[in-house]
Amino acid sequence: MPTTAIDPPGIEWQRVSPKYVTVCLVGWAAGNLLFTALLSLPLVFVLLGWWEWPPLWLAIAVPAAMLVLALWRLVLIPRQVRAIGYAERDDDLLIRRGIFFQRTMVVPYGRMQYVDVAVGPVERALGLCTLKLHTASPGTNALLPGLPAAEGARLREQLTARGEARLAGL
Amino acid sequence: MPASANNSRPAAKRGWPACEPVDAVNSSPEQPAVDAGWHRVHPASPFVRGWVALVAVVVFFGRDIFERALQGRELIDHGLNGRVLWLLAGGAAVLLVTVAGFILSWYFTRYQLSEGYVRVNSGFIFKQQRQARLDRVQAIDIVQPLLARIFGLAELKFEVADAGESAVSLAYLPLGEAKQLRATILGRAAGIAPGPGPASETGTEAAPLPEAPEHVVLSVPHGRLVGSLLLSEQSLFVVLGAIASVVVSVLTESGAVMLYLIPAMLGLAAAYWKSFNKGFNFTSAISPDGIRLRYGLLDTQAQTVPPGRIQALKVSQSPLWRIFGWYRIQVNVAGYGGSAGNENAARTTLLPVGTLNDVMLALSLVLPDPGTADPVRVFTAALNGLDSDAGFTITPRRARLIAPLGWRRNGFLATGTALLLRSGRWWRQLVLVPHQRTQSMALSQGPLARRFGVADLVLHTTAGPVVPRLIQADVDEAVALFDQQAARAREARKRQTSEQWLAEISRAGSLPVPATAPVNDTPPQEEPHHG
Repeated sequence: MPTTAIDPPGIEWQRVSPKYVTVCLVGWAAGNLLFTALLSLPLVFVLLGWWEWPPLWLAIAVPAAMLVLALWRLVLIPRQVRAIGYAERDDDLLIRRGIFFQRTMVVPYGRMQYVDVAVGPVERALGLCTLKLHTASPGTNALLPGLPAAEGARLREQLTARGEARLAGL
Repeated sequence: MPASANNSRPAAKRGWPACEPVDAVNSSPEQPAVDAGWHRVHPASPFVRGWVALVAVVVFFGRDIFERALQGRELIDHGLNGRVLWLLAGGAAVLLVTVAGFILSWYFTRYQLSEGYVRVNSGFIFKQQRQARLDRVQAIDIVQPLLARIFGLAELKFEVADAGESAVSLAYLPLGEAKQLRATILGRAAGIAPGPGPASETGTEAAPLPEAPEHVVLSVPHGRLVGSLLLSEQSLFVVLGAIASVVVSVLTESGAVMLYLIPAMLGLAAAYWKSFNKGFNFTSAISPDGIRLRYGLLDTQAQTVPPGRIQALKVSQSPLWRIFGWYRIQVNVAGYGGSAGNENAARTTLLPVGTLNDVMLALSLVLPDPGTADPVRVFTAALNGLDSDAGFTITPRRARLIAPLGWRRNGFLATGTALLLRSGRWWRQLVLVPHQRTQSMALSQGPLARRFGVADLVLHTTAGPVVPRLIQADVDEAVALFDQQAARAREARKRQTSEQWLAEISRAGSLPVPATAPVNDTPPQEEPHHG
């Protein structure tokens, strides 16, 4: 995994499962295709001659633009999934994500209030899970999606054990 | 039964706060140990709280008669005799039910202060039992709305860190009792009054502790409060609006525009009044219990924030305030939460308007150990400075295209105890986060920032008005800070482990007011006097 400028030096990043791409694809299809189909309705109506307005070019342009945007997102998905990484250090957990808009986050074990493990229907079919860490701050948006279920459970146990050892109140 | 109840008690002490066994109340006669020291709030409190409902009932059903009385007619119209009587009877019934509800709710609301916990039982149909650990206290407020103040009553709010409603809210207690309770809670939480031992458990209720001595540090003169309101952004809009309306009315040659302004005027007056009412007589004091804030004209409020409970702090100055060198200080406290609104805005304000000197005083309360040799110079640079004076690291010069004004001001400086984040050339801002209060951190960089080799660092803190964010720092500096800050936070947390602050403060010897009789002198053996 490539290290980028904003990553602390000397970190060995763990990657999430490549199968997470499938989860993202399903989400992408559910969202973007449906939306594009909805935006195409005026085009259908115009072609059928039911609607006078909008003009044909506009009726084509709007869903086309949407489709291009959706395809662009589709192309990005595998790279985005590859960009998600985490690293367990002695006292904190590092989570990174993003290519264009990169974010690297550090969550000290002693600051964790609780750990969530969530599994959606698609994730369950693929044997994945999503881990979420909560601190006392609502700004801590530490989401770690696409972990293999076993790794998720291991991480959860590990994090809670380390959290207890380093518990630091608020 | 007593045996089983006794068995369940240690479990209740150890267990989760909400898991208090139900029999603690139901089996009260057999359980003097737990039941000792249950108190009720003042009997008048439901009426003080619910007077609006009572008035509404009376007005709704009595309107007819009032109107007749005002018009000088007979009180009861002979033609409608029966109906009026029914109406009155209905009104009386509703009134009776409301009052009965008030009395029942008062009767079933009880609170108790016992070893390390405050417990409140309430409700008679849906019972609620709540228990909160004293050493988890984030803040205690004593609130007196106008009506309660007339009756000499006060509401006590006990805040823990869940950023929602108050954990325990006792409305209303006689003012003296509320203060006494606050002193006892804070004393217990601070660790100076160990909870009653097993021997004294049966008879001891909240053993009264003397109120901690306090030392007024700063207050806001009325003139300055008025001035700060007149120089607020709001006033700028008023002036602009007035000019615009005059121009429009001259152009259209009609005064009708003025009529439309009346509601706007009323709204503005209300906003000014609220700020004035909340900021009036603002005093901030230090006591061994923590920082005490007091304010309010009609509704008064006294907040106590124990030391170390302030998660982040922001000093801000708008361009208009620069004329007189005024600043505002806002804080994040875990118990106050981040909900917007006038009430909360007042609660999270540590200083509504103050001079540079006041700011320094307030900072010294929040951060008794500034972590630098020359705090005045560092904080002056942090508040007003530019460039790298006093050791600030600013946005690199190459990024001046994306931060044309702010690049010389955006900066950070880590002292031994806190991280200072400076930003804003016109709307000046300084955010301070004590190292041991950092929750988590995120470094982020968008494409544009990457082009200029800068990155943003966000420090996550509890919900509140302060959002610590270092903007447009040099990438290498930001990454270094990210790493160092994680280490610093870790070190600071290791140093400060106890939730019972008084032990630590006396150990460190950094209590800001050693002159006034410190609570350490209040010997624990004084307790049996009251017990």
